Amino acid sequence: MELAKITKLLDAYFEGNTTLAEEAQLRDFFSSGSVPEHLQGYTALFASFQEAKKETFEKEIKLPSERKQNNFWKWSIAASVALLVGISSYMYFNNNGLSAEEEEALMAFNQAKETMFLLSENLNKGTQKVTFINEFSENTATINLINQFTESKNLILK
Amino acid sequence: MNQTEFTALVLPFKDKLYRMAKRLLVSSEEAEDAVQEVFLKLWKGKQRITNYANPEAFAMTMTKNYCLDRLKSKQASNLKIVHSNYQNSENLQRTVEVNDGVSMVFKIMETLPEKQRMILQLRDVEQFEFHEISEMLDINETAIRVNLSRARKTVRDELLKKYNYGVS
Repeated sequence: MELAKITKLLDAYFEGNTTLAEEAQLRDFFSSGSVPEHLQGYTALFASFQEAKKETFEKEIKLPSERKQNNFWKWSIAASVALLVGISSYMYFNNNGLSAEEEEALMAFNQAKETMFLLSENLNKGTQKVTFINEFSENTATINLINQFTESKNLILK
Repeated sequence: MNQTEFTALVLPFKDKLYRMAKRLLVSSEEAEDAVQEVFLKLWKGKQRITNYANPEAFAMTMTKNYCLDRLKSKQASNLKIVHSNYQNSENLQRTVEVNDGVSMVFKIMETLPEKQRMILQLRDVEQFEFHEISEMLDINETAIRVNLSRARKTVRDELLKKYNYGVS
């Protein structure tokens, strides 16, 4: 291939204006081994693209075997739902059976609590009054003292 | 569609997807995971894949999206440090395996912006037509040519720079 054509193709290549066929020509030329000295720098470029294409995906592609997996999921979901319903209904009914006895006990307890409250309230009122009485009796005591004092004064005056 | 039919449809382009994923993610393990993930998604939505005129382009778009998502989440975490370590050891291995110039080109390609890297990969490695690349990446053909030109020139300039360093 004439060198002038290759140089022209190279220019077009770096401008992004070559077709796939023209790029194939360039690759062929640079892998031919008859590359002139001043163009040697480009051999590595085209060689590496071909080198890069050699890499392959060697691992096995793992796909879930659809039907088995799906059935397994369906069954496990169904089973867990059934289990959940069973357990919750068992707990629900059991709770109601027990609470017939418990309710009586609870009512008795509440009543007892109420009466205790009433009692303590009244007790508090009572103690308040008692303090009033205490104050009153203190005052009467002082009045008595005054009375005694006036009496004794009267005696002295006499 | 059963599994054998699906595999028959999808297997012809598994290597292309893998190479694209590796170009973006660099690590071969991560690229393998990406391909596996894309096939799993395709399998789950297999009713839809037959509706697409070009299943290969559809799978390539999915691979691109998956890898870009991975890169984004990696940037957010500190995985990048681990990643660059891996890169070094792999490059070392490569230099032993293939000749110097080729490994240099690979190294330079890793430094390109993601869009340019994808376009260079799809055009110069996989040799897709511009309209196919346009469909895969959802970028118009003019923009693809512009990015391709930039990518090719960057690789050329960097390569020549490195050669000159080697000589002098």
